[in-house]
Amino acid sequence: MTTNAVQASTTSRFLSATQVIHWHNLPVMIILGIGAILMLMPFLWMFATSMRPAGEAYQLPPSFFPTRLNLNSYREVLGSSIPFLQMYFNSFVVATVTTVGVILTSAMAAFAFSRLRFPGKGFLFALMLVGLMVPPALIVIPLFFGMAAIGLLDSLWSLILPGLASPLAVFMMRQFMESQPREYEEAAFVDGASYWTIFRRISLPQMGPPVAALSIIVFTSSWDNFLLPLVFVRKFDVMTLPVGMVAMSDLAGALSLSAIMAAVTMCVLPLLVVFLVAQRFIVESITSTGLKG
Amino acid sequence: MATLRQRERRAAWAFLAPAYLIYLLFLLVPLLAALLLSVLQVDRLTLATDYVGLANFEWIYTDPRFWTTFRNTFYFISLAVIGNVGLGLILAVALDRKMPQFLLYFFRLAYFLPVLVSLAFVSFIWKFLFAYDLGVINYYLRQLGLTPVGWLNDQRVAMLSIVIIDVWKNVGFFIIIFLAALQGVPRTLTEAAQIDGASAMVTLWRIKLPYIAPVILICVTFATIGGLQVFDSIKIITNGGPGDATRSVVMYMYTEAFGAGDLGTGAASALTLLVVISAVVAVQMLVGRRIVRR
Repeated sequence: MTTNAVQASTTSRFLSATQVIHWHNLPVMIILGIGAILMLMPFLWMFATSMRPAGEAYQLPPSFFPTRLNLNSYREVLGSSIPFLQMYFNSFVVATVTTVGVILTSAMAAFAFSRLRFPGKGFLFALMLVGLMVPPALIVIPLFFGMAAIGLLDSLWSLILPGLASPLAVFMMRQFMESQPREYEEAAFVDGASYWTIFRRISLPQMGPPVAALSIIVFTSSWDNFLLPLVFVRKFDVMTLPVGMVAMSDLAGALSLSAIMAAVTMCVLPLLVVFLVAQRFIVESITSTGLKG
Repeated sequence: MATLRQRERRAAWAFLAPAYLIYLLFLLVPLLAALLLSVLQVDRLTLATDYVGLANFEWIYTDPRFWTTFRNTFYFISLAVIGNVGLGLILAVALDRKMPQFLLYFFRLAYFLPVLVSLAFVSFIWKFLFAYDLGVINYYLRQLGLTPVGWLNDQRVAMLSIVIIDVWKNVGFFIIIFLAALQGVPRTLTEAAQIDGASAMVTLWRIKLPYIAPVILICVTFATIGGLQVFDSIKIITNGGPGDATRSVVMYMYTEAFGAGDLGTGAASALTLLVVISAVVAVQMLVGRRIVRR
């Protein structure tokens, strides 16, 4: 209940706005504005530089707005010997499969934890919460050992499978289900519906809010993941973008600065789209991780 | 009715199985395997293992570089926590007011976009912004008549540069948490203070901040845990240099396990990191609880 109240007030004040300008807030607004421009500078520079011809990329003064539309550096990236599009595709496949997988499996687990009675429930849930505290850096070495042992290194599965293990998702889904009424499920059960039907037709359709929040968290963290692919993948054509970018820039001199910035721009683009489409949920996705205490 | 209960139990296992099997295989078992690996010597090619007792731990604890990385990491944390939590709190207080729609949209974009974007991507941008001769930041310093700074090649400054990137990237996350907390302060409290004639500043210091103190504490802990794992930006931008000035604990672990190819010592340093994380969290919780209660 308190969670909802906090989110509602977040929505009403920070998320929506008045059209009235409160003039006594002006100094604060100006400072916030300068801060906001500084925050966006790196992205502006990235985009403007990607539009510069390769020869002028390093020229000073730097530009923050593209002076003309010059897509040569984008062509350079796509036409280079590095399979950039393949990496893009890999990133997309890994992030999408991970997101769908996490949401489906965690919704199912949450259904069991929230709606069904079985022995050992409390213990199994507590054991899952242990996973919330495990730093990725700790398990990457044993995972590497395991992946090498079963021959999954240098495959997209080595990136998808560890990403599917998300105790946070199970926890969030279960918290949400606990706040929903159980009467529909009970009524359906009395009418003789199977558990799978109840889950698919009644529970799952109610899960909109946590699904939206989790999709953003899981998709972006998969798209951004660096350590795992750095360790598990050595071949160009199975690399995802973060590691691919490193490999690209290590091929010194192969690409110009504007080409590298064009590549970064293309990597950032899906995240910008996610932001623009779902910005309302982004705030909720972060506050609903329960960190606000 | 035993069959009904059996049916429910069987359904529960079936619903739980996919998530739990994956969790066991890819999180819990690796966690235990890390313990095992730390007492083994692993051949990097054949993956043949050899029991070596505590030799791995002995090796890293007598390696002065290991302690350097800890010192670096704690230096990073102390600055990053101040930056993220301090600046995040200030900005949240500033943003916690009514404003026109377009400004709101703009601020949200500016402060939250970096949170979504991987350090692996933005590190490339910052690497060039921080460059000495042709970097953007030094260009403006020169324009202002100041001496350019060796952001990435001066041993005393390099870690500060990594901190700047970290705060730029993560401050939006803390802003959101603090905003939610600030707006969760009961209206009755702030209104009562206003009726009693308290200024906005006094209300903030005496009512709002004490009220959200537990959240601030959690954020400090969270920033510390994150800081102990700093890796991506360092790997991409400085690769631990200049010298060992920016080498972090996870960087050490990575180099041991995958650079030198010694999974055992890598696991040993990772476990040490986990112990330190747990200890830091425990201390912060104990100290914090005492302060918050007062």
